[in-house]
Amino acid sequence: MTKIVVDGTEVDVPPDYTLLQACEIAGAEIPRFCFHERLSIAGNCRMCLVELKGAPKPVASCAWAVRDCRPGPNGEPPAVSTKSALTKKAREGVMEFLLINHPLDCPICDQGGHCDLQDQAMAYGVDSTRYGENKRAVEEKYIGPLVRTAMNRCIHCTRCVRFLAEVAGVPDLGAIGRGEDMEITSYLEQAMASELQGNVADLCPVGALVHKPQSYNVRPWELNKTESVDVMDAVGSAIRVDTRGREVMQVEPRINEAINEEWISDKTRHVVDGLRLQRLDRPYLRENGRLRPASWAEAFSAIAAKLKAADPKRVGAIVGDLAGVEETYALKRLMTAIGSPNLDCRQDGAAIDPAWGRAAYTFNPTIAGIEQADAILIVGANPRTEASLLNVRIRKRWRQAPLAVGLIGEATDLTYPHTYLGAGPETLAEVAGGKHSFAEALSKAERPLVIVGQGALARPDGAAILAAAAALARDIGAVSEGWNGFGVLHTAAARVGALDLGFVPGEGGLDFAAMTQAGALDVLYNLGADEVEIGAGAFVIYQGTHGDKGAHRADVILPGAAYTEKSATYVNTEGRVQLANRAAFPPGDAREDWAILRALSDVVAKRLPFDSLTALRKALYADHPHFAGIEQVAGQDVAAAVAALAGLGGQPGSEPFRSPVLDYYLTNPIARASRVLAECSGLARERVLQAAE
Amino acid sequence: MSVLDILLTVGLIALKSVLLLVALLVFIAYALLADRKIWAAVQLRRGPNVVGPFGLFQSFADLLKFVLKEPVIPAGANKTLFLLAPVIFATLALSSWAVIPLSDGWAIADINVGITYIFAISSLGVYGVIIGGWASNSKYAFLGALRSAAQMVSYEVSLGFVIITVLMCAGSLNLSQIVRAQDTAIGILGWYWLWLFPMFVVFFVSALAETNRPPFDLPEAESELVAGHMVEYSSTPYLLFMLGEYVAIMGMCALGTVLFLGGWLSPIPFAPFTWVPGLIWFVLKASFLFFMIAMVKAMVPRYRYDQLMRLGWKVFLPLSLVMVFVVALVLKLTGLAPVS
Amino acid sequence: MKLDQIARGLLLKEFVSGFGLAMKYLFKPKATIDYPFEMGHRGPRFRGEHALRRYPNGEERCIACKLCEAICPAQAITIEAGPRRNDGTRRTTRYDIDMVKCIYCGMCQEACPVDAIVEGPNFEFSVETREELLYDKQKLLANGDRWEREIARNIAADAPYR
Repeated sequence: MTKIVVDGTEVDVPPDYTLLQACEIAGAEIPRFCFHERLSIAGNCRMCLVELKGAPKPVASCAWAVRDCRPGPNGEPPAVSTKSALTKKAREGVMEFLLINHPLDCPICDQGGHCDLQDQAMAYGVDSTRYGENKRAVEEKYIGPLVRTAMNRCIHCTRCVRFLAEVAGVPDLGAIGRGEDMEITSYLEQAMASELQGNVADLCPVGALVHKPQSYNVRPWELNKTESVDVMDAVGSAIRVDTRGREVMQVEPRINEAINEEWISDKTRHVVDGLRLQRLDRPYLRENGRLRPASWAEAFSAIAAKLKAADPKRVGAIVGDLAGVEETYALKRLMTAIGSPNLDCRQDGAAIDPAWGRAAYTFNPTIAGIEQADAILIVGANPRTEASLLNVRIRKRWRQAPLAVGLIGEATDLTYPHTYLGAGPETLAEVAGGKHSFAEALSKAERPLVIVGQGALARPDGAAILAAAAALARDIGAVSEGWNGFGVLHTAAARVGALDLGFVPGEGGLDFAAMTQAGALDVLYNLGADEVEIGAGAFVIYQGTHGDKGAHRADVILPGAAYTEKSATYVNTEGRVQLANRAAFPPGDAREDWAILRALSDVVAKRLPFDSLTALRKALYADHPHFAGIEQVAGQDVAAAVAALAGLGGQPGSEPFRSPVLDYYLTNPIARASRVLAECSGLARERVLQAAE
Repeated sequence: MSVLDILLTVGLIALKSVLLLVALLVFIAYALLADRKIWAAVQLRRGPNVVGPFGLFQSFADLLKFVLKEPVIPAGANKTLFLLAPVIFATLALSSWAVIPLSDGWAIADINVGITYIFAISSLGVYGVIIGGWASNSKYAFLGALRSAAQMVSYEVSLGFVIITVLMCAGSLNLSQIVRAQDTAIGILGWYWLWLFPMFVVFFVSALAETNRPPFDLPEAESELVAGHMVEYSSTPYLLFMLGEYVAIMGMCALGTVLFLGGWLSPIPFAPFTWVPGLIWFVLKASFLFFMIAMVKAMVPRYRYDQLMRLGWKVFLPLSLVMVFVVALVLKLTGLAPVS
Repeated sequence: MKLDQIARGLLLKEFVSGFGLAMKYLFKPKATIDYPFEMGHRGPRFRGEHALRRYPNGEERCIACKLCEAICPAQAITIEAGPRRNDGTRRTTRYDIDMVKCIYCGMCQEACPVDAIVEGPNFEFSVETREELLYDKQKLLANGDRWEREIARNIAADAPYR
């Protein structure tokens, strides 16, 4: 620890801290443009200049370490002044330089109202200009469908360049030219190939990079902000849903160090227009082969008639990928009351059974824990598309110090160097048998990490593969005191919560595949499962938000609420319980999902014993206490679960692993309804085709 | 008398009445406009100026507006009485005009108890006010009605004595006779306004109070009771109240003209002035009185209620009593008393 | 009571003098104007009915910066913005002023960076229904077209003092 005096107060900070960090600890605010906590130091905006006693001129505090400061002549600690006249003058000078070429187009700039330059010009700007010449004009660049450029406004902080190169691992942007002629460009006028590109617009301290889909739509001051969680993947990123009136206008990241730090993926951010399009806003009833609008009462009485006539053994319920814990719980209670054992939440047919223990299906090391791993084996997963922010963590870990990352499955660019081991279960067996060169790296590692993806589990021999992976994890010592190096990576936000509830076939119950067979059931309750074909024969009740695949096959459609329109619990792949809050209201006649099930239970004379969300949660927490621990991961015996899994045995097949995410941008009904994501998907396909040529 | 004669007489009276009514109402329409214009002018305003040139058709626009508006009857009101009150008020105000001689022999009913008739009718007018105020079922309307009743009763007493002095001088209850009694060789100086001067003033002030005109407009004091007994009225019923009020005011002007300003007589009793028709003189005199009333509205602040009562009972009543005595004494001593 | 007081009372001295004064005023020049037929003076800063202006080439000035919406103390302005279809520039897709809410404070025209929303010289815009006072963009632009000459003159007259 080193002592340093900031504005007269002495603070004790680690010597590798920068002056800027030291000043912040001392409570002094330092203006900055180029500096960002999660990016490397560039030191090129010069806004953070402070006066350092003994230094001949002001120093850039973001790039000057505390240990680089010289002590005073009598050994007194170095003194920094952040409020001195010199500091102020220096910053005013920098601001004047920045404003020489920055256009005065704040009124038409989308950054207006949350612009760092605007704010700091209030503090350090002068109200007139000494610059009589014409301002610089820079051509706009095309860098993709998600980020619009207004390069006149660029102040060359290079945050975007550093983000893409360091965090996203896709160095698509760079700076060319020098001085006034410096330009940020993708050079080839190509779209950025990152699934995190939206973050560059968040990072941009001015309005040079702004979100294209929300162009001109909103001003920050007219938004109501609701903190929530994302359901596009099983990571559960912390988001802030911004609404104006009844409409969700944008989704912004929220800082959650345990999960997404402060990034979110493009799907999370730009799915908002999908929340408005293709929505189911009233119940529908199929009559003579055609769906017609109906009232809630009509829809319910049709359901009640069918349920009454059906044998409880021929009634089933399936849960899709976006359902919250509350409605899944309500559905389970309803099905139990009806007497049906046919429940399933694994629409991809993943071989996961809650009976093996909770640790057998959660991502035990936790996302933040990835930073402790020193060797990673990814089995049947493409974390870049299945869980982008988990991939960012692996890349962050790799940037701290290179480590061995092995991938078994589809060969892909994970944005960090990795060893491609092979395509299928044989490779896994090889590694497990120590016959593969990568096995050495794994067994040498102190904290190895085995990630098993849905690509490896969602297949008939999934259980055997899971057992093999668990055995490997056990053998290489991935689960030890203080380290849980075995994790299952999910792709569906609803999955872990539903598994926690035990929403799987009961005694003699049919599983997902069996239920969707033609003629298997008389009545099938489909709670938002849209990625599945349901065979003929069954009377299908679809409760969901969008007119997608599930709705097309339905005989009765009950319009539900999307994740921004209800308060619901979601459990992410780590097993972390999180609350999504209501930011808007469901459209039209649509209602919150648990309330629909509660109302239906009345009509079928199986009244569920809760009249409010609070009562429902009370019952839920009584049955499953760990749901009460919001933002927490319930502790569990990972070693036992891994041992149990390893003991399952079985013979894996030879089919190569396939990622369950075929198109990153279109994984769920909300995303499929989004025009923006459809455009992104098209571009991504083109890129794949070009690469193939 | 045959049936035909009766019919003819009735028809003639009806014709006269209609003629008088039309003329009177048109005259009042402009009197109302004049009232507003004078009031505005004293306050350096312009008054109504939009409807017609100089706002000349303002009263007719108002009439149309009142007639076309929706009459609102309060839920708690006694509907029959509520609607009856303005009719009573307006009818009574109009019926006192039956005995007013507009010129020599120009009265619909030249009865010899004319003055008593007018007095009786104008006393009845208070019923319209009280019924209206009571039937509205509103405390403001009711308070206004009570004030109005008390005020009318108070001033009718002195008004009665004022008239008695005139009667003593004229020796007749017939209004035409009273005018003829003022027909002397000295013209304007021979009229009773000069000879009974304090009584003329008392009459004028009492007339203001009797018709609820400022400064005695306490029953409808805008600052406290909004519109007094008329507060719940709207549309045509309100119009009838307003009309009745102005008819009563004009009636008072006419009565004043007859009693004190020599009726249809020319102020200068020789040609060419005597060639001017009596009706013209009458209208001019009544208009002058109305002008005075309008001016009073513009220049005198409203009386407090106790001041109003004090003036009525403690000043005017003793004064008029004394005057009755004095006039009788003078008439007796000088032998000027008319011989009946 | 003094004798002269009685005499004054009987002779209505105060009434007569008051009457004289009233008569004097009766014939004095009027302080008011003959309003609907003649207009009073309105300064260049007069804040009347709102109008959205155009540039001389017919292009609407408003750039949908929403500063007027933000500054409006009565929250009478509602704006929705988006890229214009033909050239992608920032424009309003909706510009509503609730003239019933408006308090005519003039903050919107002060906030406007392009002199698009202005309060024109017109104050005679009474209507028969409340709905007619919910102005939309079309109405405001039409107002701008109608009053442009006066508005431009007023802005020019006020310019030296800004």
